[in-house]
Amino acid sequence: MYETFEHTADLGLRIRAASLDELFADAARGLFSLIVPDLGSVRSVEQVLLDIPGEPSEMLLFDWLNELLYTYETRHLLLAEFNVQVGPQGLTATVSGEPIDRQRHQLDHEVKAITYHGLKLDRQGADWLAEVIVDI
Amino acid sequence: MAKETYRGPLERINDFSWRIPKHYRPGMHVDGIVYADDALIESIRHDQALEQVANVAFLPGIQVASLAMPDIHWGYGFCIGGVCATDPDEGGVISPGGVGYDINCGVRLVRSNLFRRDVDPVQTALVEELYRQVPTGTGRGGKYHFNPSELRRLMEEGVGYLLRRGLAVESDLEHTEARGRLPHAEPDQVSDRALARGHDQCGTLGSGNHFLEVQVVDQIFDEQAARTMGLEKDMVCVMIHSGSRGLGYQVCDDALKSLRGSPEKYGIDLPDRQLVCAPVDSPEGRHYIGAMGAAANFAWCNRQLLMWQARECFETIFGRTWQELGMNLIYDVAHNIAKFEEHTIDGRRKRVWVHRKGATRAFPPGHPETPAAYQQIGQPVIIPGDMGRASWVLVGQPGSMLQTFGSACHGAGRVMSRTAAVKHAKGRRIDQELAAAGIIARARSWKGLAEEQPTAYKDVDLVVDVVHKAQLAKKVARLCPIGVIKG
Repeated sequence: MYETFEHTADLGLRIRAASLDELFADAARGLFSLIVPDLGSVRSVEQVLLDIPGEPSEMLLFDWLNELLYTYETRHLLLAEFNVQVGPQGLTATVSGEPIDRQRHQLDHEVKAITYHGLKLDRQGADWLAEVIVDI
Repeated sequence: MAKETYRGPLERINDFSWRIPKHYRPGMHVDGIVYADDALIESIRHDQALEQVANVAFLPGIQVASLAMPDIHWGYGFCIGGVCATDPDEGGVISPGGVGYDINCGVRLVRSNLFRRDVDPVQTALVEELYRQVPTGTGRGGKYHFNPSELRRLMEEGVGYLLRRGLAVESDLEHTEARGRLPHAEPDQVSDRALARGHDQCGTLGSGNHFLEVQVVDQIFDEQAARTMGLEKDMVCVMIHSGSRGLGYQVCDDALKSLRGSPEKYGIDLPDRQLVCAPVDSPEGRHYIGAMGAAANFAWCNRQLLMWQARECFETIFGRTWQELGMNLIYDVAHNIAKFEEHTIDGRRKRVWVHRKGATRAFPPGHPETPAAYQQIGQPVIIPGDMGRASWVLVGQPGSMLQTFGSACHGAGRVMSRTAAVKHAKGRRIDQELAAAGIIARARSWKGLAEEQPTAYKDVDLVVDVVHKAQLAKKVARLCPIGVIKG
């Protein structure tokens, strides 16, 4: 699950999940929910495969969200479904969505960037917890 | 990370400035100095901005103090409203976080020969036309397309390139900070990813706090300065707030990534990863300076093209050319930038890298970089407020050179988080509230408007008061919005 938390100028995302695979997928949903609040309005018509190297750490989370933002901005592609496998050397993911259709998609925020400020990814009991602040 | 009240030391210097002493935390090279009156400092204490002022004091080569303007609020790494100067001869660093993601985010103000009474009958039609023609919001490209070689020239030559393309006039260049071009720009240092994000975004507004507003001069405080700028009471103006769009965000992101290893490599001890930096005279430092310059030039071109589209909209509505309508650019200032400038420090002239992260250059009368037309009055300092109350024009004062490396505030500063603002707006129609106050607002997103509602910001009049009393910049005119377009 993901929720937003307060930051004066920008927005924070807090994500909790039982596994890293779920956490990375939920973080992606959280990111796109800022851009298009009704993720249900985004159909899965285009698929993108992503392969991001790195140890499973907050830096991998950063690189993952960053790559998704880049994909959205350069291809004007809204993404809503995320299938992620996080391994010791990095992640592979199949993500899907559709190009922006202004008749059906109500867009909210332009996310300028994922920031390193307060970025974290930790175990909390049996769960994983991550926090990331995005620049709006 | 939670919102915590600052509990560190804060010593009063005078009625409008405060000191965070450098002994507060080991590793601070200089004091922190915050410009604020008693009322503003109370709200400033409520988040982590003051802690961030202390963090910036850790940067190698920092001169005099880590400074914060009265619109200071919690940023990421640097506080927003921060000013810091570093000396390359003393191991000084350049820090992308001290510029921000939106490289050369800034504001420009355009005058006109129109008065309130001329616009009243067509107020809604004018705002609708601006909203139709000027691209706003996320995921929206613009009408200007530049192929890779054109984009390269645009980043190299700045607004001068648009002049040669017939999209600017000479007086637009004269009335833009640095004439719309940083000479150290190196387009080759801008990544393909940044080009991919920016290629269709020059001439688009974006979202968040960016806006284009039709404003009316509400009050004049300095007749001579107002006359020099061509401003009169009740005159209609256009204010534009935007930056370097996806291209600049990506340049910052690329730099932060390439600097991940710099603190270890150069032995720099930093309290926050978002402050990563490199010595000015290092390969990483030079790379960022070249790319940042290119993004800054892109941003000036973006605001130039936004203004060009606004002029076209006025031509459509009023049936006269923009020259006939007297729509001259008063000035364009950057408020997220790092510039290599000469300043007097401890009685010696030094060249330093002045980082302005949410702060506006405020050079005084007689300064060689103040444009010829404003040599007698000082460089115009344009301060956007919120969309319900006011914005300001000031002029730089000698006090800014003595205290803040020639800088003043950049806006009202947020006081309410985005989430709190949305809660506060539940069940309300911000656009209708504004309409009842005589302001026509159009935005792509309800949430965007809710987050940017007037009460989410400090009262800009109070912020400007501090800057005026501290003699950083002097009040010239107050402007009130009558039309707003946003993302």
